[in-house]
Amino acid sequence: MSPDLSMIVDADMDNKQQTYKELSREIEVIKGEQNEGLIHEILKENLQLEQEIKSLEAELHSDAREFQIKENIPEKKLKFTSMKSSEDGGQFSNSSCSFQVSSQILYKLQKGQALITFEKEEVAQNVITMGKHVVQLEDNSVEVTAQPVPLPIGVRFQVHANVSKMKINVTGIPDELPEEQTRDKLELSFYKSANGGGEVESVDYDKKSGSAVITFLKSGVADKILKKKTYPLYMNPKCYQVTVSPFIERRLEKYQVFSAVSKRTVLLTGLKGIRMDEENVEDLINIHFQRRNNGGGEVDVVKCSLDESCIAYFEE
Amino acid sequence: MSSTFQNVLCELQETQSRLKMKLQELQQQKRERMNFPRDEIPFPVPEVPLVFQGRTQQGRQAPKFMVSDLEICCPLPEGSALVTFEDPKVADRLIQQKEHKIDIEDCRLRVQIQPLELPVVTNIQVCSQPDNHRVLVSGFPAGLKLSEEELLDKLEIFFGKAKNGGGDVETREMLQGTVMLGFADEKVAQHLCQIGQFRVPLGRQQVPLRVSPYVSGEIQKALIKFQQALHSVLVTNIPDILDAQELHDILEIHFQKPTRGGGEVEALTLVPPGQQGLAVFSSMSS
Repeated sequence: MSPDLSMIVDADMDNKQQTYKELSREIEVIKGEQNEGLIHEILKENLQLEQEIKSLEAELHSDAREFQIKENIPEKKLKFTSMKSSEDGGQFSNSSCSFQVSSQILYKLQKGQALITFEKEEVAQNVITMGKHVVQLEDNSVEVTAQPVPLPIGVRFQVHANVSKMKINVTGIPDELPEEQTRDKLELSFYKSANGGGEVESVDYDKKSGSAVITFLKSGVADKILKKKTYPLYMNPKCYQVTVSPFIERRLEKYQVFSAVSKRTVLLTGLKGIRMDEENVEDLINIHFQRRNNGGGEVDVVKCSLDESCIAYFEE
Repeated sequence: MSSTFQNVLCELQETQSRLKMKLQELQQQKRERMNFPRDEIPFPVPEVPLVFQGRTQQGRQAPKFMVSDLEICCPLPEGSALVTFEDPKVADRLIQQKEHKIDIEDCRLRVQIQPLELPVVTNIQVCSQPDNHRVLVSGFPAGLKLSEEELLDKLEIFFGKAKNGGGDVETREMLQGTVMLGFADEKVAQHLCQIGQFRVPLGRQQVPLRVSPYVSGEIQKALIKFQQALHSVLVTNIPDILDAQELHDILEIHFQKPTRGGGEVEALTLVPPGQQGLAVFSSMSS
C-alpha cells in the first residue's frame, strides 16, 4: 500500500477502534446505569419485603393475649329510673356513664349442620361419645356425627367514664409569662363570673404542654364554661382565647378473658342432600334424641341449617 | 466493573428469594391462626359454660359485642326538680319555653326549664395487656357454700404463704366465677402460674384450683358525646318555700296540666335546698 493509503487505513482503523472504544464505554456506562438501576430496584424491593416481614412478625409474635377492641357503642334510648341523694350535704362532682361490654359468642351454623341442646350435660357428653347416630328422616336414614361445638375466646369488662362537674381542661395556653405568673393569670381569668367563671380551688398548670386543669369550688361552674369551646385568658395587655374541654376520667374494671365452652349443646354434622322442610327435620331430630335407647334424653332446643347458613348465639 | 455488579446483583437476588420465602411462611402462619384462634392462646383461660337457647340470626354479620347494664348518672343542683313525662313532645315544648311561671296560691314562681345533657360513650378502644403481678384463680366447683368475703379470705391466706409458693397479696377481686389476686412480688405470681395446679382447703374440702396469668385491660380511647334526655326536663331556681312534700305535690299538679304546657307526668323528684341529688338513667328495654 502506498503510505497515503496505509495512513488512511490506519486512520480508519484508529477511528473504528476509537468508535468501538467509545461505544464500548457507552455500553458499559449504560449497562452500569442499568445495573445500578436494577440494583436500586432490588434494594427497594428487599426493603419492602423486610418491612412486611417485620410487621407480620410483630403481629404474630404479639402476645396472643393481646386483644384489641374498637367498637361503636350503639345508641340507646335513655329514661330516668331513680334518684340518689347526698346524705351528708356533700357534692356529687361527676356525671357518669357506665356499662358492661361482653363478647357475643356465636357459632356459624353451616349447611348440613344442626345444633341440639340437651337439658342435662351427661346426655350431651354421651351423645358425643357415641359419635355416629343414624336418624330416621321419613323415608331416609341419615348418619349424623355428634361433636362438641367449637367456641371462641371471649372477653368482658366494665367501662366507667366520669365527666367532672368541677374540673375543666384548658389547652393552648401561651408561653409568654413565667410559670407562677401564668398560674395566677389563669386563676384570675377563670374566677370572673362575668365570663361564666367561678371561685377557683386549684390550678394545675403544665408549662411544657401549655395546658392546665382548673378545679372549681362549686359544682356546675364547669358546665357553664363548657357551653363555649373557648374562654378568655387575660395576660396584660393582651387577651387570648384558650380552648376549654371537659375533664373526663375513663376507667376499665373487671376485665376478664374467658374461653366459652358448650357443655349442653352438641353439633351434628352430615345432614346432606335432604329435601325436606327445616322445621320438619328439626322435629324428627328432636324425637330421635329424646329417646334413651338412642343415647339421648330431654331436649331443649334443636336448630338445623339445610338451605342457608345462620348465626347461632350462645348465652349463659 | 461488571463482575462486581454481577456479584452484588446475585447476592441481592438471593436475599430476595430468601425474604420471599420467609414472607410466605409468615403469611401461612397468619392464615392458620385466623382459622384456629384458640390454639394460639399459650396459657389456660377460665372456662365459661354457655348454651344455645334457640336465638339465631340470618346472614353473616353479627355484632361482636353486647352492651348491657348501661347506667348514666347526672347530679342535680339544690333547689331543682327533675320532671319526667310520658310524652317526649311535652318535655320538648317546655324546654322551648325556658322561663316558666308556676302559680301557687297567691304567689307566682319564676323558674327555669332546661334540658338534661347525659354523657354517653359512643366509641371505645380497649387493649389488653398481661399484668405480671396478678394471677387468676379458677376451677371453683358449683355449690361452694362460702360467701364472697370468706372465699377471698381463704384464698389470700393460702396464697399468702411462701410454703405454698405464694407471697404477699396486695389486691384481690372477685370476677364472675373466678378470683383475681395481685402480688407484691411479680416473681411470686410467675411461680404460681408455673405450678398451675393447687389443692386449696376451702371450708371442709380440698378443692383443686388452677392458677393462670391475668390479663388486664386498658382504655385507649373512649369517645363521649352528650345526649339530651328526651323525656325529662330540669326545673331550676325553685325557691325554698313550703314543705318538701307540699312543694312536690304542687309541682306535679302544675306539670300535669296541658293548659300550662304539661302532660302526663311519669316521675317528679325534688332536690331540697342544702342537698344535691343524683339522677340515674338507664337504657329503655325496647
